[in-house]
Amino acid sequence: MDWSAILDNAPDLGAGLLITLRLSLVSACTALALGALLAWALQKGSPWLRATVRAYIDFVLGLPILVLIYLLFFILPEYGVTLSSPAVGVTALTLYYGPYMGEVLRAAFGGMARGQYEASAALGLSPLETLRHVLLRQALPVALPPSVGLLIGLVKDTALLSVVGVEEFMYAAKQAISTSYAPLEIYLVVAIAYWLITLLLDTAAGALERRLIRHRAA
Amino acid sequence: MLNALPDLGRGLWVTLELTVLAAVTSFVMGHVIWWLRGRSLPLWRGIGHLYVSLMRGVPSIVQLFIVFFSLPLIGLGGKPLLAAVLAIGLNSAAYVAEILRANYRTLPHGQTEASHALGLSDFQVWWYVSAPQALRSSLPALVNEFTLVVKTTPLASVVAVTELTYAGQLVIARTYQATPVLALVVAGYLLICWPTLKVARRLETRFNRARSH
Repeated sequence: MDWSAILDNAPDLGAGLLITLRLSLVSACTALALGALLAWALQKGSPWLRATVRAYIDFVLGLPILVLIYLLFFILPEYGVTLSSPAVGVTALTLYYGPYMGEVLRAAFGGMARGQYEASAALGLSPLETLRHVLLRQALPVALPPSVGLLIGLVKDTALLSVVGVEEFMYAAKQAISTSYAPLEIYLVVAIAYWLITLLLDTAAGALERRLIRHRAA
Repeated sequence: MLNALPDLGRGLWVTLELTVLAAVTSFVMGHVIWWLRGRSLPLWRGIGHLYVSLMRGVPSIVQLFIVFFSLPLIGLGGKPLLAAVLAIGLNSAAYVAEILRANYRTLPHGQTEASHALGLSDFQVWWYVSAPQALRSSLPALVNEFTLVVKTTPLASVVAVTELTYAGQLVIARTYQATPVLALVVAGYLLICWPTLKVARRLETRFNRARSH
């Protein structure tokens, strides 16, 4: 085992890790937005829109994310759309995680009785106040655990973007291997780094969840 | 384009092989991990917990490379298919273990006590009493996990296993026709995943109906 390869490549690996975190953050936000849009379309859209959204969701559910990445990477340029590789990566992650996120939102908000909207309106709450004080209070604790599961999946799937040349953590690892030829040592360190990110997300989510439901009787 | 079809067909077949082998690995190892997590000795429980945490917390592609570069150390180098089966199967095992744990937990404890009182051994209780019930209620989630295994198999392309995705890439490199080839690759995955997802959904509704009676 040759651990000096890690020290020699530490700056590049660190830079890659930062890009992974940035890609994850951006994709998580856009996937959440797309999920909200899809959930809204399934709830309030016209029958035609609902059918389209459902077809899209079924398509994504049956497709490996790596194939989706290749699809965007190879096919978009054929139609004159040339995005940078990170942009293709964020698009792929958004398109893939949007439907899953939408399902979580639907489950969290769908369970609330219609009467709550009416009761809030009767109490003189504006729609924004209703959202903040009535709906989110109930929906967040429900949506949080599955959302964190998805977020962890998303962070891990950013590693797939290395195959189309996005210069994130995994890509930096491959570069480091090509110069040092110490694949096992480098991949083990990379694995531990991803694992620590996951543990951190899990711990933070656990703490947040306890805070969100602290008003409930034990 | 037509002469690409046999290549893609062979790729689809390798994808199916890879899926079945990985799913079997996952099912067996999933039981081992589930069993470890149910031991009373903290050491075994800890190992089971650590296994699930690591498998869940590290990207599959990193796990695949670690397996791929570790196999030569035990004299099994140059076997990309084996590396892919192990990596995908061992990863999925963590999720199978969690599914089993959740479903065994719903069985009333009195069953085990009653079975012991009737003179059944631990193994007999599991084989005749617990397993048939828990496996049946796990089935929808297990079928769902199976589709996730299908969707992880394209990873094998990065270690040059000629499954559907890699077969497609090879054809694209030869013909420069990305759109039709990728359309066929996509169709191949939908062909496997859609019927399986449908089975999972049907099992789920049937099981929910049975429980509500």
